[in-house]
Amino acid sequence: MHNESDPEGDVARALAALPADDARPYDWHEFQRRRARAVPARRVIGAGALAAAVLALAGVAVWVRVDQQRAANLMTAVTHADDAGGAPSWQATAAAGEPRAAERWLASLPGEPAIVRVGTRADVLGLEDHIAQVDDLLSAAGTGRAQAVHLIALQRQRARLVSSLEQVRYAETLADESR
Amino acid sequence: MKQTHSFSPWILCTLVALGSGAATGTHAAQPQGTPPPAAPPPPAAARPDDGDLDAQLAAARIKLEEAAHEVAELSVQMGRPLIEKFAALAGEPGRAILGLQLEGAAGAAGARVREVSPGGPAAEAGIHAGDVIVALNGTALAGEQPARQVMDLMRDVKPDSKVNVRVLRDGKPRDFTVTVRSGPGYFARAHGMPDLELGPLGPLLPPGLMMRGPFMDMELVTLTPQLGRYFGADKGVLVVRAPAKGAMQLEDGDVILAIDGRQPVSGSHATRILASYQPGEKLNLRIVREHKTLELQATMPARGALPEHRPHDAAALPERPEVILQQHSDET
Repeated sequence: MHNESDPEGDVARALAALPADDARPYDWHEFQRRRARAVPARRVIGAGALAAAVLALAGVAVWVRVDQQRAANLMTAVTHADDAGGAPSWQATAAAGEPRAAERWLASLPGEPAIVRVGTRADVLGLEDHIAQVDDLLSAAGTGRAQAVHLIALQRQRARLVSSLEQVRYAETLADESR
Repeated sequence: MKQTHSFSPWILCTLVALGSGAATGTHAAQPQGTPPPAAPPPPAAARPDDGDLDAQLAAARIKLEEAAHEVAELSVQMGRPLIEKFAALAGEPGRAILGLQLEGAAGAAGARVREVSPGGPAAEAGIHAGDVIVALNGTALAGEQPARQVMDLMRDVKPDSKVNVRVLRDGKPRDFTVTVRSGPGYFARAHGMPDLELGPLGPLLPPGLMMRGPFMDMELVTLTPQLGRYFGADKGVLVVRAPAKGAMQLEDGDVILAIDGRQPVSGSHATRILASYQPGEKLNLRIVREHKTLELQATMPARGALPEHRPHDAAALPERPEVILQQHSDET
């Protein structure tokens, strides 16, 4: 396809050369390849793909439940943290979560599906609002005297929310594509 | 199971094309040179098992959405104590949200945007990570703690209002208008719901905007000019699939013009408005139905139970109660 803004195809080659990690979540290209292969029996495979996605998300839900205990432990650490400590380190808090690839994928999506299903969309909007709230709290805390352990806990919570948003938007996209 | 619909065939084709458009949007991340998947061939004739496959697909889709909902709900619930504790420490309950992580800009005046919340107000306005905020609502940021200054200025901003943000991007000034939002739980607090335990962020309700019950399988499409001409409205949101059980008296093919005076501009916006109501609250809907403008008064149904799967068939809807209060003469 001719692209006036990239006549030499440099951008296309650069995109193609990106590491596979940038294609998360769940390898979007693999998803597209399977979808193309499934065209002759779209409905049968569509139901199968959705079932597989359900299993995957159910697994994530189980993982989230298990992770609740870890979060509780972290809360305990936050609650009992002493008042000592220097200025919070963004580098340290950033290490608590690594959502960049997920955020790049989320940014590549259209703002909403062509046909909005209210239930799933409300889930997406709820997660987006919670992430925005966490970010604003991190801004406020970072300008105050918050302890690094608090910021790390909040950054981890942000990473978890971004991961969940990634899962839910993927489910929304998959359901939209299965129509 | 043969599906029927009250829309004409060409309008259905338009909706299908819209769906394809969304898929095209997701292809933006696809490297050039990768051929798009071939379009599925039209079925030569209905196969005997089409009905079963339709039902299986619909059931799988519902399971997928339920699993996604569980992931979202659990994630929010498990983070809520930490966020509430933090909000209490920061003394920031109920404030308007920008959706930015800020830090001081090294070697320059202004607050550097460290992270932009995906889908947040700032992201929607077009602000990027790496931008340096130099002014907010006309007030230039100065001093050694510009990030703190932004947070201080935001204390006086009400949710849903517009904030003018000037940033430096690649050294050049750019202006953005950010429509800030209320935090999760704000609406229930603002509506003064009784008998609820109020934490720093609001009552302990189902987290955020999450909606179940009759609204779960409601489907909306942002009106395009072409759709608008067909349905007799030049703005609003088209109800492709009405809520289950006749909730709020909406029907397939209605165009929602306003909800208590608020005009939805997209499916997401309509979802956000509807989610701001608590079960049992009254609301007025202004809609276009069969080219007639109507006012409906409805009650927000409970969000609890999941709706039974219903076929996309207008005939399967329960009889609509008589709720039309006023029929305008301005037939479109």
